[in-house]
Formats: sequence, structure tokens, C-alpha cells
Amino acid sequence: MLIIRMIFKEIWHRKVNFLLAVLAATTAVAFLVAFFTASKASERETARLMLSMGYNLHVIAKDADVGVFLMTGLADKTMPEAYVGKLAAQNSISYNHLLATLERKMKWRGVEVILTGLAPEVCPPGQQKQAMTFRVEPGTAYVGHHIAEVLAVQKGDTVDVNGKALRVERCLAEAGGLDDMRIQCSLRDAQEILGLPGRITQIKAVDCLCFEKGDPVTTLRKEIGSILPETQVLQVKSLANARAKQRQMIRNVFAVMLPFVIMACGVWIGVLAIMNVRDRRPEIGLLRALGYDTVQVMLLFLGKALLVGLFGAAAGFLLGTELGLRFGPRVFEITAQAMLRPESSLFVLACILAPLFAMAASLVPTVIAVTYDPATTLREE
Amino acid sequence: MLILQDLAKTYRTRAGEVKALDGVSLRIDQGEFIAVCGPSGSGKTTLLMMIAAMLRPSRGTVQFEDRDLYQMTGAARAKFRARNIGFVFQMFHLVPYLNVLENVLLAGAVARSGDGRARAEESLQRLGLGHRIGHRPSELSAGEKQRTAIARALLNRPKLILADEPTGNLDSQNAEGVLRHLQSFQRDGGTIIMATHGLAAQGFATRTIDLREGRLA
Repeated sequence: MLIIRMIFKEIWHRKVNFLLAVLAATTAVAFLVAFFTASKASERETARLMLSMGYNLHVIAKDADVGVFLMTGLADKTMPEAYVGKLAAQNSISYNHLLATLERKMKWRGVEVILTGLAPEVCPPGQQKQAMTFRVEPGTAYVGHHIAEVLAVQKGDTVDVNGKALRVERCLAEAGGLDDMRIQCSLRDAQEILGLPGRITQIKAVDCLCFEKGDPVTTLRKEIGSILPETQVLQVKSLANARAKQRQMIRNVFAVMLPFVIMACGVWIGVLAIMNVRDRRPEIGLLRALGYDTVQVMLLFLGKALLVGLFGAAAGFLLGTELGLRFGPRVFEITAQAMLRPESSLFVLACILAPLFAMAASLVPTVIAVTYDPATTLREE
Repeated sequence: MLILQDLAKTYRTRAGEVKALDGVSLRIDQGEFIAVCGPSGSGKTTLLMMIAAMLRPSRGTVQFEDRDLYQMTGAARAKFRARNIGFVFQMFHLVPYLNVLENVLLAGAVARSGDGRARAEESLQRLGLGHRIGHRPSELSAGEKQRTAIARALLNRPKLILADEPTGNLDSQNAEGVLRHLQSFQRDGGTIIMATHGLAAQGFATRTIDLREGRLA
């Protein structure tokens, strides 16, 4: 009689034992699937929320006065626009969302404003992301709330800025900061208005060192310094720390919970396997008496554990995905649409890991089974 | 065929050492039907387990056709057992999730004696179980269960059948049927060693051995 046939027949005979074991594996896999799906989604969600807080990395010219920059948010020296291209061309770097700007204070219609030229945001190779800020087309302008209110500028107006005609694309909502005092236009237009062709005052970026140990700014300065030695790097610590802590917290929550769930399910499967072995002592004794060796008896139990794992993987994947689809939108309101999709790679992973997990949990009971003395078992019976 | 030399088995229990078998020497020839009698705890099952190469003696040797069973490795003993020895137990020991035919074939998987299915079906027909081959043990009477166990024991055409109280759970009619099947095996040249309490069973034996407190009486 083939061992495989015996495994299936025994499973059918002791359905409840098998279903309870599958339930344990299902729970573990469902949690894992939910964990990975949710952690991915939460990272995305957190990243998106954190991004809304703005760029936290500023690259300014080496000869710019840091004190002035910190006090006004504006660099007093310019640097070549080509610098942003150099940064964007790097592989394996720790920053993203590169935005070249040219900013200067100027008088416009009797009011002191900040003229801000924005280049389209660029990303390093392989790190393409959705832009964090709007793109201003040449010949258009986005006018800050306070300027628009004081100077009665409206959407659709054409305004003259130092001889350059710009059509107002939008009047921005109140921001409660410097943005309310900006006239934002394309970098080309700003360079033309200010007479600074090919120049920028800073490159804004977001660092990707949330999970690094140590001080990220040291890493960033070393990294960017080797590419652009004629610059200095400033990191807005409060933003960087908030982002890092938030992402780290999500990771820690799952890191703490996961071992407990895995352990509980492992013990569950193990206890069921021990009960199964106890129930089958006469059968084990008989098989040994008939000449079945240790490997064959082990196969009976480990083969069953393998099936427990496979069924658990399939059911757990479906359950975990279903839970994600059902409850995800309530948790991750912003990125729900982007994150809520079944991850087929997780199914493959579950089909490999769950059987290994079930077999590991059944190992001790299996060893117990093969060490039963058939003579003792048959004599007791 | 079988030579037992000074066989002894001592079990250690919390209450102290228990001598289950103490210096049993015996010679059994092919074609014999041996009834091993004695009260409960006299060492009958222990003796059978030692002959079956399943219980290492504390002392002494078991020689089966000039081979010392306990000089073999565990795996070799298991193979030897599968090919040469059949078992019939008082509690039948049928696997509950396999049907009658599958229970019989269970013995053939290890011995790999070939054409097992045809022989199993033929054997079951002879034992009057032809109509029961697809049934589970829970659907059989006690007599049918024991006849299934006999079919399983006979599958590999063993030289020796060890039967431990094979009629202990059967009524007299079924018990006699089972004993006749065993007798038929013996008449075909097989050897049987049967532990029993029953006087009727002893009537089928060619020789009776009496065990008292682990010794031959």
C-alpha cells in the first residue's frame, strides 16, 4: 500500500483532526499575508502622509550663507542647474524626489514677494515616484493666497512679472506660511525674469534613510558631497525623524506580534499532531511489526503535515487577502486603492513556508511515533 | 527451524525488576503447530515478541534458520520479519481507515513479494471474505476481522505465523473457523506458534508448551 494513499485515507477518516490543523496553519498564513499586505500598505500610506509634510533635504551652494537660509528659507547664492541632473543620474542613492528651484525676494506691484521657479521633479533611475508637488508649465503662474488677496489677482489673469507675461493658472489656498507670499512659475521663466539662466538656488529632496541606524545626515552629506562637492546639505530633522519614527513604529508592531502568532499556531499544530500520534499507536505498532521502517512511519506523519501546510497556505492566502480587501480601505484611506491587490508572490511564499512550518511543528510528535516500541504497544493492546 | 537458547527478559518497573522470561530454551521444527499456554503474565506474549524479532532479550539468542535475529540491524530485522513472519493478534489490529483488501495489502508493501493484490483477493475468497473486500473494519464482525488479519498474515507466504490469543475475542464457532484456517496453513508446511488460554485451541496444536512465571513448566 502506498504511503500517500494511506495519508489521504487517514485524513478522510480523521477529518476533524485534519481540519483543526489546517485551521491553525490557515490562521498563521492569513496573519502573514495580512501582515505583509498591510505593512506594505502602511508604509505607502505613511510615506504619503509624511511626504505631505514636504521635502526634508536641501542642497544649496557651498558659498551660500547657511544662517540666511535657515532664517529665510532662501539661499543667497546660486549654483548650476546641471547639478540636479547629476544627482538624478546616480544609482543606489539615499534620496528621491529631486526638485530644482530658483528663489529670490523681489518687489512686485509694491509688495515684497518670493519668486519661485520650479523645475519638473525628477527621480533617480529605478525610483520613479509620483511627484510630490505640482508642475508649473512655462508661461503660467501659481499665486500665493496672500498676494492674490492683497493684489486682487484671480485665476485666468495675465500678470506681468518684470516684463514676463504669465497667465495665472491657480490662486493657492491659504497655507499659513511662506507659500502664501510666493509667485511660482517654471524654472525657465524664473531664470529669465531674474536674469540667471542655467542657475538654481537649491535642490529639494526627500531622504530614504528611515530604517538606517546612526545619523542619516552624515550619510547624505558623504553621498551627495562626493557627487557635488560644491554644495552643502541640510536636513530638516523634525520632518526626517517624524517620518522615520512613524515607519519604524509600524514595522515594530508587526515584528512583535508575528512571532506570537506563529508560535501559537505552531503549538496548536503540534498538540494536534501529538493527539493524532496517540490515537494511532496501535497502527504504528502494527506497521512496525509488519516491517515498516522509521522513514516510512515518519512519511505517514510528515506527509500529513505537508498537506496541512499546503491547504493552510491556500486557505490562509485567500482569507488574508479577503480580510485585506474588506478592512483595508477603512484603515488605509489614502492609499487604499493602490495597496489593495492580491500579492501572488505571497501565495508562492506561503505554499513553501506553510508546509515547512507544519512539518516543523509535527516533528516532535513524529519522532515520538517512530520511537514507540512496537512490542510494548502491541502487548499493551 | 527455530532455536531459542536460554532466553530471558527482565523489565525494570518502579516496583523493581520483573522477570517476564527466565531461561527458556526451545527448538521448533518446520511444520509444527505450537500452543504456548499459561496464565496471564506468564511470559507468553513476551516470548512471541522475541521470536518476532521485535523485543531484544536481556539474555540468550533466537536463531531462525541459523540466523541470530538479534545480531542483525534493526532495518534488517524489519525486512526479515516482513518476509518470514506473519502476525495474528487478539485485538485484530486492523487499520480503521483502510478497507479489508487494503488491510491485507498492508503486509505486502514492505515485503514487495509481487502480485500481492491477486493473492490477497484469492486469500480473502478462501477465508469467506470475498464479498467484504471493500468494507471497513468497523463494518465487520469479530470473526470477519480475525479472518482479515489471517489473510494479512498469509499474504507474504511466511514461514512462521505468530498468533497471540487469536481466538480470545471470538465465539466458539468463529474461533474454530480461525483455528482451522491456521491449521490449513500448518498442513501446507507452515509453522505456527500460538499463545492461548483456550483448551479448544490447544486441540489443534501438534505440541503444547506450558509457561509458568517465565519458565517452561
